[in-house]
Order: sequence, then structure tokens, then C-alpha cells
Amino acid sequence: MSERPTTSEATTLEDDTVLAIEDFCVDYGWGDAAVRAVNHVNLSVRRSRVLGVAGESGSGKSTLVYAATRLLRPPGVISGGHVSLTFDDPTSSDAKRRTVDLLAATPSELRAIRWSQVSIVLQSALNALNPVLRIGHEFDEVLSTHRPGMKKAQRRERAAELLSLVGLNADRLARFPHELSGGQRQRVMIALALALDPQLVIMDEPTTALDVVTQREIVNELAQLRARFGFSMIFITHDLSLLVELADDIAVMYAGNVVEWAPANDLYGAPRHPYTLGLLNSSPPLSGERRELVGIAGSPPDLSQPIAGCSFHDRCPFAFEKCSSQAPELRVLDDSGRKVACWLHDSPADVPVALRRRPRDATRVGAQTPSNAEGVV
Amino acid sequence: MLLRRLSLYLVTAWVAITVNFLLPRMMPGNPVQQLIGKLTGQVTVQQVRAIELAFGIGLHQNLWDQYIGYWHQLLVGNLGVSITLSTPVSSVLQSAVPWTIGLIGVSTILSFLVGTVTGTLLGWFRGSRLDSLIPVATFFQAVPYFFLGTVVLLVFGSNLHWFPVLGAYSQSVTPGWHWDFVFSLVRYGELPVITIVLSSVAGWMLGMRNMMITMIAEDFVLMAVAKGLPRRKVIMHAARNAVLPSVANLSLAIGLVVSGALLVELVFNYPGVGDLLLQAVLNEDYPLIQGIFLVITMTVLAANLLADVFYFVLDPRTRTEAAV
Repeated sequence: MSERPTTSEATTLEDDTVLAIEDFCVDYGWGDAAVRAVNHVNLSVRRSRVLGVAGESGSGKSTLVYAATRLLRPPGVISGGHVSLTFDDPTSSDAKRRTVDLLAATPSELRAIRWSQVSIVLQSALNALNPVLRIGHEFDEVLSTHRPGMKKAQRRERAAELLSLVGLNADRLARFPHELSGGQRQRVMIALALALDPQLVIMDEPTTALDVVTQREIVNELAQLRARFGFSMIFITHDLSLLVELADDIAVMYAGNVVEWAPANDLYGAPRHPYTLGLLNSSPPLSGERRELVGIAGSPPDLSQPIAGCSFHDRCPFAFEKCSSQAPELRVLDDSGRKVACWLHDSPADVPVALRRRPRDATRVGAQTPSNAEGVV
Repeated sequence: MLLRRLSLYLVTAWVAITVNFLLPRMMPGNPVQQLIGKLTGQVTVQQVRAIELAFGIGLHQNLWDQYIGYWHQLLVGNLGVSITLSTPVSSVLQSAVPWTIGLIGVSTILSFLVGTVTGTLLGWFRGSRLDSLIPVATFFQAVPYFFLGTVVLLVFGSNLHWFPVLGAYSQSVTPGWHWDFVFSLVRYGELPVITIVLSSVAGWMLGMRNMMITMIAEDFVLMAVAKGLPRRKVIMHAARNAVLPSVANLSLAIGLVVSGALLVELVFNYPGVGDLLLQAVLNEDYPLIQGIFLVITMTVLAANLLADVFYFVLDPRTRTEAAV
């Protein structure tokens, strides 16, 4: 991807931010029964960039994104922080930039922003498409809701055009969701997500339910579509090797905390948090040499119980006394701007070898290797 | 797929008609003699022949020939002659069935519509003050219908005179398709319809509410919200799917329309099939009972067929069988 930033660009100007999440907290339940699912998270998505969010099931990655876009359902409760969305206002004639506080937005403000500025693709397209409606109806509905000026024939034309973007024939519009294959359904969802040229597209494990071949095709198509339309993207997955191909930056979440944030190649080639290392060792690389897969021992902590110290300490192979008593904060690690929440990096001499590798060459990482070039325009 | 269903219905209809033919012939004793004995002194030759025709007794045919003859009579629309009324069963039914279909049919559909709409809203706004509707509706369903009907009749009909009572229309108008009669029909129908709807709406309401709550948890409803659709459209996304089980239940309810109105017709003195069936059973009027059973069977089958067609239209997933 030509627009992949160099590390020095990682700290970009404020006005380049599309979605800014600040000190964001989300609970499940109220009062004493509340369980903290997202804990003081700071993240931002920049214009035309891809933020990858990785972590195990239950790490809070989906909760974070759904809550930030006000889609989280009860008993999920936003308990603190700020989320703002910046976009080119289509309703103003001079295409003025507007910033909206998503947590304070009224229902009608939210409705106007939804899908036209922020669209979403879910893991299971079969469940995300209404089973009793034709595919064409889904397109017609978003277009007629957000583009009231469009005539029926124009909407149909636009729907056919969108389907062709993802390599589907226009005759699919007359089909019902159950008549399409899993890959076709997910393509329909992606086409639908792009229907209104949104500023930000959220992908919640869009390829997890698909076989690896289809997954490969869809990832390539997404890269092409992004290069062509320049939308920003949040890509949620547990598959780090997939993320490194698509994402510019990756945030790794564990037990509701962001434990590491870094440019994709740096994170993939040279993880700094023991959890990131564990994640990388537990999934096979999409390209490069074979390596032994090692799972992370134990399971994520019970968030309903208070956790003393670092939430990862009882699964961490490198944990020492401080880890079980004090919680580390996400701090800038070096001048590349990458951040990590781990006590190991306090004394550089004691950092385990596995966590102080230099970022490897891109050959291992894959995003810029010839074998992946067909995915990049 | 629909063709296969249709043939299934034809087989079911054949079985039902055959059972209807066999039942009186399997009864112990000789019903003809019983009836003639009961009616001694009043029995006419015509009546004896009617009974014999209905039971195939005295014709000295074997069972198979009787069966063929029964079918033959059935196909030309001859259901025999009612013993007590001395009129052809088909014309007795013709005068009773429309009343029942009108009253119970309208009530059932109204109850379905009211219950489904309120159930949709109850499901969507669950936990709000609307929830207090549920115990009220359940109460009316729990009260025995006979009691509810009588109380409503006494309070709103006899005492307050808000509604006319007894019968299907005012005695001062002549039946026919003119405005006075239709108006009288509607006025006299109000109280029974309201009572039936009150006592049956809870089922529709709770069923729809529970399905709505299940549907709201579905991804496509979340997507409808994420698409920025107005709330009305989001609710419709859920309701469109939640209504499917209710439609299946509606078919059962419509099937029972013809038979299930006995109490209503008794309380409100309404001239329908329920009342007729009761009289027929009390008088052991076998040709009439047979005719009523036949009509009930056919309505149930027709309603089921209708529901199948309706479901086929509403839920595209049931159509795949045909496509694959």
C-alpha cells in the first residue's frame, strides 16, 4: 500500500483524525454489578488509514467499537470518556469539516451520521442481512433513507454499481440472503457498507466465518477498495497476521485495556508486550517460514473480580513481583511513537530477548512482498 | 413444493370424508330404529328415508356400494336431510355458516391484528410502562369466557344499554344487502366481537412480544440501527420476522372459527354453527352432525392451505425447497 506511513508519520496532526476515542470506559451492568469491559482506552483513527484492533474473545475489542459508535446494547453502559467523529459535512455547500461528539449526539444526529459516515460489516453476514428481504431491498433502503433525492431507478443503478465493485453480478439484487454463498453475502455487506461513501468503515471480524481462500480474496478486495475510495477503517480480528496486511496501526487489547499500540510492521516483526508475542506465536503466518505454534497458557481473567496489578500477569511467562501488585499504564516506548503497557520495559537491560527484537525486514511481514502485490493497487 | 402440499391436503380430505362416512355406521345398535322410536307418532316417510340415506341402512347395499353412493351424493352437494328440521342439511348449513364465519372470523382477525401490533410495541419498548398491559390482557384470557360474556352482556347491554343485545340484527329491519341491515348487523356484532377479542388478544400479544424480544437480539436489527434508519423502519425489520409464528397460529385459529364459537353463540343468542351443532347433538340429528363435521373439517383444511400459501409468500426461506 503506497499510503502506508513511515514510523515518523505515526504521530500526525490533530485535524487528520477521523475518530478520536479518549479515556473511554465501558461497563456491562450497573452499580456494584458493573463489569468493566473497556478500561480508559485512548485510540484514534486517521483519515484514509486502517486501525487494526486485535485480541482474544472477550478482550473488549468489539465492545469498544460498538460503544464508541453508540451501537452497544444494554446492559452495556458507557461510563466515561469522549468519542468524536470528524467528517466532511455533505449537507453544507462548502464541504466544511464537522466534528461531532458521538456520546452527546441526539438520536436524529446519530441517524444522520450512521451509515453515511460510519458503516459496519459484521462477522456473520447471514445474520446481518434480514432473512426475509431481498438483497436489493437492503441497498434501496439505505439509499432512500440517506439520499431522499434519488429516484428508484438511480438507486437500483447505484446498487448494481456497488455489487460490481465487489465482483458480484447485478442479478444478485433479486436474491434472498440464504440463496447466496457465505463469501457472496460478505461481499454484499461490504458493498452495502460503501453505499454512501462513508468516512469510516468498521469491520468486525468480517472474514472469521469464511474459509481461508475466500478470506484471502476478500482481504485483497478490501485493500483495492480502500486504495480506490480512501475510507478509513477499523478492522477487528483475533488474527494478527491478517491485520498486518491491511492495517497501518495495530492496537492489541487484553481484558479491556490496550496493552500495545504500534505501526503494523513494527508490532508484527517486533512485539513488545508478552501478550502480543503470545498472540503472534499462536497463529500461523500467512507467508514466510514455518514456525511452531504455541498457545497462551491459561484463559482471560474474570473481569467481575478486581484484578491486582497487570491483568496479564498470571499468564505471562516473564512476570515478576511488581506485575502482580501494580497495573502498568500504556506509555510511549521509544521515539518511533509505539506504546506498550508492560513493566518489563522499565529497565531496558532486563527485557527478555523475545521482546527486544528489532523490527524485521518487510519480507517476513508480507505486506510489501511480491506474493501479496496483487492485492495492492 | 406447494403442489406436494396440495396433494397431501387432498389425501387428508379423503381420509376425513371417509371417517365421516364410517363413523355413524360403526355405532352400536341401529340408530335408525332408535330415532324412529324416539319420534314415534311424528315421523314421516320422508324422515325415515332421510335417516336411511344418511346411514345407508335399509338400502340393503354392501358397505362399498354405500361408500360410492355417499361420494356421489356429496359431489352433487346432497348432504341428506336433517331429521329434526326436515330440511336438507346443506340449506341448514347455508343459513348458519355465514353468521359464524362473519362473527368469529372478524373477531379472530381483529384479535390477531390488535394483539400483533401491541405485541410488537410491547416487545420493542419492553420494560416501559406499556408492560402493564400484559397482566390486564392475561386476566381477560384467564376469566372463563362464559362468565366474561355474561357480565359484559349484563353490564354494557342490559344495564347501560350501550350495545344492543340478543340476536344478530334488529328485528325491525329485514335482512338484505342494504345499509340499515348492515348497520344493524355491525351494532349487534360489536359486543360479541369485543368480548371475543378481549378474551383472546393476550395470546397473540404475548407471542408477538416474545418473538420481538428474540428478534431484537439479532444482528440484522443491530444493522438496521447502524444504517441510521428511522425507528419505525427498525421496528419493522424485527416485526417482519417476528410475525411468522403468529401467522402459523392464525391458520389454526381460522380453522377453528367454524366450530369454536359455541359459547359465544349461546351467550349472545347468535344464530351460528355452534348453536346448530349443540341442537344437533342434543337431538341426535346424525345427518346434521355429519354435515357440520364435514364443513368443520373442510374449513380447517382450507385454512391450513391458506396459511401455507401465506407463509410461503412471507418467508422466502420456505421457498428454497422448490428451487433446489
